[in-house]
Amino acid sequence: MLKRELKITRKSLFIWLFVLISIFTLVFAMYPYIMNETSGVSMDELVSMFPEEVLKAFNMDIADISTALGWLKTEGITFLLLIYGLYASILGSNIILKEESDKTIEFLYSKPISRNKILTTKIIAGIINIFVLVLLNTIFINIGLLICDCYNFKEINLLCLVPLLPTLVIFFISLCISTFFKKTKQTIGISIALVFINYFIYTFASISSKIENLKYITVYTLADIRNVINNLNFNIINIHITIVLIIILLFISYKKYNQKEFL
Amino acid sequence: MLKIENLTKYYGNIRGVEDLSLELMDGEIFGFIGPNGAGKSTTIKCIMNFINKTSGNIYINNILVGDKNFEYKNLIGYLPSEIHLYDDYTVLEMFKYSSLFYSNKALKRALELSKRLELETNKKIEDLSLGNLKKVGIVLALMHEPKLLILDEPTSGLDPIIQEEFFNILKEEKKKGTTIFFSSHVLSEIKKVCDRVGIIKEGHLIKVDTISNFNKNNYLNIHIESKDIEKISKELNIDIINNNFIYQGDINILINKLSKYKIDKLLINEPEIEELFIDYYKEEVC
Repeated sequence: MLKRELKITRKSLFIWLFVLISIFTLVFAMYPYIMNETSGVSMDELVSMFPEEVLKAFNMDIADISTALGWLKTEGITFLLLIYGLYASILGSNIILKEESDKTIEFLYSKPISRNKILTTKIIAGIINIFVLVLLNTIFINIGLLICDCYNFKEINLLCLVPLLPTLVIFFISLCISTFFKKTKQTIGISIALVFINYFIYTFASISSKIENLKYITVYTLADIRNVINNLNFNIINIHITIVLIIILLFISYKKYNQKEFL
Repeated sequence: MLKIENLTKYYGNIRGVEDLSLELMDGEIFGFIGPNGAGKSTTIKCIMNFINKTSGNIYINNILVGDKNFEYKNLIGYLPSEIHLYDDYTVLEMFKYSSLFYSNKALKRALELSKRLELETNKKIEDLSLGNLKKVGIVLALMHEPKLLILDEPTSGLDPIIQEEFFNILKEEKKKGTTIFFSSHVLSEIKKVCDRVGIIKEGHLIKVDTISNFNKNNYLNIHIESKDIEKISKELNIDIINNNFIYQGDINILINKLSKYKIDKLLINEPEIEELFIDYYKEEVC
């Protein structure tokens, strides 16, 4: 069953991976050229033109954007958070509901297996997909930055892996939402909207000190990029919060999935 | 093998089935007949535990059907009215995948059944016609030699030759002791293979009878063309309108009576299911 699930999701995984790698290839290839072509304006001068809040929001106050690694720490990582989040939300919405919308789930429901096992298999397949996407992209970023000659193994890998925390939570939120609905299109819209809402709250809470407390309601705070850049480690509390959130979402998902009717 | 006790299912305020009780014996073929929307599919979905019952119990081989029990599905072969399978698989891949849930013998039997039903196993599911898709569904339902077969409109899309082969397979299954729950709205096929019939209408099981009893009270559509039409009408004590009338009773008696007259044309058909239900409705009102 797991093999089947991985086969269904493989195509979408490779499309997302291709998009990510293409964008990063473009950036790594173009970045040194762009940095050398700032028409006489130094990078420091360019950065100083931005308000302090904006610099903070994109970690530009603690990272040097004149290198490709610097770009990864600033725009690159926020871009990764958004792309991984969108992938996880679509995957979480689809992994149960696609088969229900296509009605092929009737085949599995008529077999001597429990719904818990069906859901568990689908969740494992989803997690494998997310890990494969993140790990393959991380390997690619490692190679890219090695070629760009701005390599720092620990920092790069911590930066690339920390988005896993919000990404997994988004996957489980979308999965949980999908257990309340019958059609994929109903759920995907909600899940994608949630990703963007979380992302904008995360960005605006970083920019404005007046709404700084809003950061506690967005899943992207779990990534805590500034802590990775400053201290080169993961925030343990965020790992614990992620685990607790996933357990709660799993509990609701299993309960609802077992009660779900196939009409 | 299958026991349904006071099954009730409501979709919100809409009735699916109400207070339906039924018991199927080992090795019998039970026809479940009713018009569209009568509650046939709802009953089947409750048996398969696809939907939650509002009240009542269902037992399969004395195992209560419910959320926590699922092993009883080993005993069931299910053929839905519309087959939805994995388009990217070939027929053979579909059989191999399905056999993973059962014993090793299942795949071998699937290939045997495919030959009997003239099914090409190297074709992709997405390229199959409706009839061939139905054949795949039949093989999937039978491949693990279930003790209970749940068939929902099993012959729709099958050509007459394959239908005949399918009925032969059902008779063989019956000989082996398999219980068959045969849901259909085609009266003639129910009469052909079933031992008993249950009629469902507006969510209620209104009649359960043996096929032989059912045939005794049979209704037939008669079209007759004769110069003696008025005499025939008097003799039978039936209004014949536009050369047509509905006859209830033993067909041999009718033929005997008609043999006295010169008949130009005589057509005898089974009534449409809707006509049959109009009659049952009248009986209930009386």
